[in-house]
Amino acid sequence: MISENLLMEIPKEWPQSVRRLVSTALESGRIAAIRDALRAVRALPQEQQGRPFRLGICRTFTIEAQIEALTLGLATLPCRPAIMVGDMENIEQVLINPQSQILQAAPDALLVLWRLEELHPRLVFEHDGMSAEEREQAATDVVSRIESLCSVYKTVSAAPLFLSTLPEQMAGGTAVTDLYSAHAPRRTVSRINQALLDLAVHHSHIHIFDFSGWASRMGRMAFDLKMDLYARQPIASHSLMSFAMVLVDTFRPLFLPPAKVLALDLDGVLWGGVLGEDGIDGIKIGHAFPGNIYRRIQLHVLALKRRGVLLALLSKNDYADVERAFSAMPSMPLKLEMFSALRVDWLEKSENLKEIAEELNLGLDSFVFVDDQAFEREQMRFNLPQVRILQASEDPLQTLSALMCCRAFDVYRVSKEDLRRTDDYVAQTQRRKLETTSCDQQNFLRALQLRAIITRVTEDTISRTVQMLGKTNQFNVTTRRHLEADVKKMLADPNNLLLLLSLSDRFGDQGIVGLGIVLGDPASKLAKVDSFLFSCRAIGRGAEQALWASLLIHISSMGYVSLHAEYLRTERNHQVSNLFERFGMTKQNDGTEAYSKYVLNLPFQPSLPAWITIEDKT
Amino acid sequence: MDNQIRLLQVFADVLEMDIAKLDEQSSPDTIQNWDSLAVVSLVCELEQTFDVSFDILDIADFRNVGIVKSILVEKGVVFEK
Repeated sequence: MISENLLMEIPKEWPQSVRRLVSTALESGRIAAIRDALRAVRALPQEQQGRPFRLGICRTFTIEAQIEALTLGLATLPCRPAIMVGDMENIEQVLINPQSQILQAAPDALLVLWRLEELHPRLVFEHDGMSAEEREQAATDVVSRIESLCSVYKTVSAAPLFLSTLPEQMAGGTAVTDLYSAHAPRRTVSRINQALLDLAVHHSHIHIFDFSGWASRMGRMAFDLKMDLYARQPIASHSLMSFAMVLVDTFRPLFLPPAKVLALDLDGVLWGGVLGEDGIDGIKIGHAFPGNIYRRIQLHVLALKRRGVLLALLSKNDYADVERAFSAMPSMPLKLEMFSALRVDWLEKSENLKEIAEELNLGLDSFVFVDDQAFEREQMRFNLPQVRILQASEDPLQTLSALMCCRAFDVYRVSKEDLRRTDDYVAQTQRRKLETTSCDQQNFLRALQLRAIITRVTEDTISRTVQMLGKTNQFNVTTRRHLEADVKKMLADPNNLLLLLSLSDRFGDQGIVGLGIVLGDPASKLAKVDSFLFSCRAIGRGAEQALWASLLIHISSMGYVSLHAEYLRTERNHQVSNLFERFGMTKQNDGTEAYSKYVLNLPFQPSLPAWITIEDKT
Repeated sequence: MDNQIRLLQVFADVLEMDIAKLDEQSSPDTIQNWDSLAVVSLVCELEQTFDVSFDILDIADFRNVGIVKSILVEKGVVFEK
């Protein structure tokens, strides 16, 4: 039950070998692995280990078996933890006696782990033998003991005090009778927990470790009565690591400044579908499945915004489309004006994010990036390693869970300034033109290990072919919506060439993403590009050059001497308005932007994208 | 890995000692680190290694490595030879 974001939380500047040792240890929870990882971490240069963190722990039960796991977890914050554990049963002695060993060691924080079983055993095990008044009095006593402990503590130590809530798992019986008893242990536990939470609301030096919250998420299986009775170690062996990691999350805000900006992709994250292909009517968002998943993601994002997190939108789309979509769906929780920065264009997202960081005057480590596409996440990781990347995926539920588990925005207390912050930034909506690929871009693409497979359209792929012809709007030079019968007719003529491109990289297979149709006339030895299109999701990787090169090779070998092409402007396809010029063709007409005609003499040596392995399987 | 070695490895890991110095006769009398807290860790590691759950009274019987092995045998763990 280790958090999905685990690897993301291990310091990125640590060598890969150490990060791997640590994640293996935290996942397995095995003592040998934990010790190996601890040794590796302690061998790192001191500045990579972080500042010292002396943690004093007072507890009413055995936690010795998990100290090493906790030490390793804390080390990832990063810090150099030194954990001191007080004697059991001696909470007052440790916490309010300035001469106690732990207070003498000047701890950076103190943690109190307790449960009602030790705070007041009778209330748990013999409550049936107590009168209502006795039980009422006992609960009041426990609360006032905790309150006075806190007020005296404040006079002897300035270190933040983390009080754990009490788990009710162990105290709560399953007997139906308990539900009807005004003084069942469960009610007592709730009452004490309420008092603990109130203490944290009113005193800035008091913090909460939500032991009870962890216990209810994990359930009864997280506890082991056998080891509880044998050694007063209530937490089951298989849950020790999860318990340690929840503690680590509790201390995280002491070390890591919280992230400030949530940079979000749009298609596949904030709504289902691809706006450019499916249109506003095809977008999935709302109360009905599956739109409700995306609505839930939006609501979660909105909640973060209300807590002071800034929102940025990074979407490869046409801005006008996005604007129209937001205004056409006014019941969506998120509105366009809620974003402090907008980048809706075809530029690399890392470039856009860098600009936003400069604009908002924030460090790159203040950003959490969410994108359903592995390509985009990997590009961000490659170009801007400081940006935190959420474990989102094309599965929207995974994205939602990752958002809910994301601890990057955790702060102990939200200030009034935090709440005001999002209004202080002015949204900027500049659009940029697609720029030439940079050197870094090529290195990145190389690292992706792209593979393009070229095939002819066949019976098996005809439906995908027709689907792309019908759906693709943006990267589509002619937008000819041929139907299946049309495609079959073209296929029947051997003078035509219909090629498909499938793209994969080391993260997975994207399937068929590109189509080129060339119609030939053997009498005149002229061939003409009827269609050339790519799915939005595959743009920016040079795959179009791979398909174009394959088309030229085939057309030349078929004996054609001249290739013609045209660009037919639509509302959506301006990004390919000069595609054929980039491909080395000569423009034949001038003037009108709505229609351009191109010609190319064959054979022509096309430039091949060096970063793609092309397999011709025609 | 041989279950005999896995068994000794758990003891070696928990008690932080060389596996070569362990045998079935090793006990709290011969090993300094083998205290009551070590037993808690031993139970935890053994249960995970062999995917078993000890009975509570078994734990009181953890008097040497050989006895722990015989308890594991009762739980269905197979040792060669």
